[in-house]
Amino acid sequence: MTQPKRFAGATDPIRMTETSSKETLLNAAVLHWMQDLAAQGIITTDSELKIVGWNHWMEEHTGKRASDVVGHSLIELFPELRERRLDRNYKWALEGQVRVLSQALHGYLIAMTAVSGEHGPRQMQQAVRISPLSHEGRVIGTLTIIEDVTERVAREAELQAQLEDRSRLLSNEKQARSDAERANRLKDEFLATISHELRNPLNAIMGWAHMMRLGKLTPANVERAVETIYRNAKSQSQLVADLLDVSRIISGKLRLDVRTVDLLYIVNAAIDSIRPAADAKGIRLQPILDPSVGPISGDADRLQQIVWNLLTNAVKFTPKGGRIQVQLQRVDSHVEIVVTDSGIGISKEFLPHVFDRFRQADASTTRIHGGLGLGLSIVHQLVGLHGGSVSVQSEGENKGATFTISLPFVGVVTNQETEAVEAIHNEERNTLEGLPSLQGLKVLVVDDEPDTRELIREVLKECGSEVITSSSVDEALLALEEHKPDILISDLGMPDEDGYSLISKIRALPSERGGRIPAAALTAYARAEDRMRVLRSGFQFHLPKPVDSAELVTVVANLAGRT
Amino acid sequence: MKLTERQSDALSELINIAFARTGAALSELTGHRVLLNPPAVAVYRAEELRDALAKFVPGDIASIHQVFAGPVAGDALLLLNYAGAVHLTDLLTDEEKPSAFLDESAREVLTEVGNILLNACLGMFGNLLNVHVTFSVPRLHLETLDELIASTTSDKGEMHYALVVYTAFQIRDSSVKGFLVIVLSVESLDRLIQEVDAWEAQQGK
Repeated sequence: MTQPKRFAGATDPIRMTETSSKETLLNAAVLHWMQDLAAQGIITTDSELKIVGWNHWMEEHTGKRASDVVGHSLIELFPELRERRLDRNYKWALEGQVRVLSQALHGYLIAMTAVSGEHGPRQMQQAVRISPLSHEGRVIGTLTIIEDVTERVAREAELQAQLEDRSRLLSNEKQARSDAERANRLKDEFLATISHELRNPLNAIMGWAHMMRLGKLTPANVERAVETIYRNAKSQSQLVADLLDVSRIISGKLRLDVRTVDLLYIVNAAIDSIRPAADAKGIRLQPILDPSVGPISGDADRLQQIVWNLLTNAVKFTPKGGRIQVQLQRVDSHVEIVVTDSGIGISKEFLPHVFDRFRQADASTTRIHGGLGLGLSIVHQLVGLHGGSVSVQSEGENKGATFTISLPFVGVVTNQETEAVEAIHNEERNTLEGLPSLQGLKVLVVDDEPDTRELIREVLKECGSEVITSSSVDEALLALEEHKPDILISDLGMPDEDGYSLISKIRALPSERGGRIPAAALTAYARAEDRMRVLRSGFQFHLPKPVDSAELVTVVANLAGRT
Repeated sequence: MKLTERQSDALSELINIAFARTGAALSELTGHRVLLNPPAVAVYRAEELRDALAKFVPGDIASIHQVFAGPVAGDALLLLNYAGAVHLTDLLTDEEKPSAFLDESAREVLTEVGNILLNACLGMFGNLLNVHVTFSVPRLHLETLDELIASTTSDKGEMHYALVVYTAFQIRDSSVKGFLVIVLSVESLDRLIQEVDAWEAQQGK
């Protein structure tokens, strides 16, 4: 067949043509000249693989001169060719085949050093072609062409690395974006839940308050209205407290007020506080509490919160007529609180996410059971802060759940301190009965919030004291001069001048002008460090908001020296 | 020209011997087990080649092309689609991450692979026909099917046939499909088929 266009003149291996001897000589001279100019290694051998040609490039890169190698067997001169089984290519070339040796699969044919670019001397990477040299249909020798591809290979590796970097960056960015989107989605879901949860009690509060303002309620209904408003406000205050806890936990600002605490007392108190709710649903509470569990180190309020959260949760997710068991026991160096319920249980899929923030099993459950899905997350964090652990087991849906809290039992010195076990915000203390009388006391109340001012005034008046109110620091200083009150109750956070400023101005006054007046601070920031600052600035007491009436009266009586 | 079933079987068997050799050579080179699926063989007239291949290799084609000359002469090509060519070189060179394109080093590897395969097949034909064929240097081209056909179709005056061998490289749980195409003159193909018949008769004894 005729040769295809593309390969015209370039098809067959180098072929010596029959020419006159003069032409042969000329051709040989041209060939020699071209070989020495070539930027590749060129080796020619005869049919016995004895070297016939060794160009300038080969001399330069191997350090072997043509005169030293010509006449020697290529394979014997470079025994590595046989060791690496590359000699086969010469055998095939002698059979008429052209062989291509790629750098990627072979590296190199003959070891040489490449000195180029910024990389310095190193093993030269080579791309090689080995062809037969034919004459009249017979192979009379071989031709090897070696190309130095060291630089190219380095460049390609660099390019590849750059591409990989770029694709890694891209995939990192994708990951970050999907994480952010997921966080965003969770936040949206959370906001939807929170607005729903906050609005629910608010509806009841506003509805009943509106009806009371209209004055059309019967006395029985008024009582019901007040009861409902109180209950809903309390539930909302719990939501806000949970949210604040979470935000403190997240920002690492939650500090434990660690003292010696009696877990038995705490668990009992939590059971007592949950009992009305359990009774209402006909749920049986079975405490199995080991009285010999000694005191441990911890924050009494927080431990109470942990147990209370678990119990609330159990009551919430246990249907009518169910059962909740609370165990307190000592296991080796730990104290365990185990809460087991016969409730709706937890599916396998949700089990690992039980302690995640803002997670509830699903939307429909959220709707049935309400809540922010924060309780267990708070439990998890608080237990962790106590150096303990919390775990959950459930056989599946409708098979109940068991929460186990394990707290380290660290040797507590049982001395008088146990008596200082912190009491809990007790429901009973909300009644004003049995509180000390404030008869004859003159109390100055400073708060920019009229509602808070009025609430405190009413509570204190109820107990017999005379109350003067001020809405700012300036007003308060005037009232101090004018009315000479016995006690000061001041809010801390006020516009313009705050409670700290007020107390420092008062403390700068001589005692006859009120400079030594006993004072208590009101604040929503109930952290330990806030309390410290309050006491250092000149107040004797610190009252956290929202104000508990009984606590307020007790504090005022205390300041007046009446307890 | 159509191959009889027996001729087609015999040709497949012969090419399979060459494929086995190719697989062994590639396995040794790469350190991975490389297999070539048993070939399916068909013969087309040169002008039918385009339509026959278009179904299998749409888009850009990587071809390794060697011209052979001697008593039997023609074009031998290994065809891979572009993505297949990239994948094959990644598999052979242990590239962990998939490459986006064929760089110079990858093209060299493809050229070597084609070279090994084409040499094995043509060498086998040469032995069968007991003739000596010489080869050109293998060249790699990236082009469309039409450009490829234009470059191989020889003298329009003469009738040419294409032996199309379909196979797939199996490496490390991956498979890369490819075609071996040998374009021959009527005369060369006739001679080849005669020898195949003879070989087949020999096998039957």
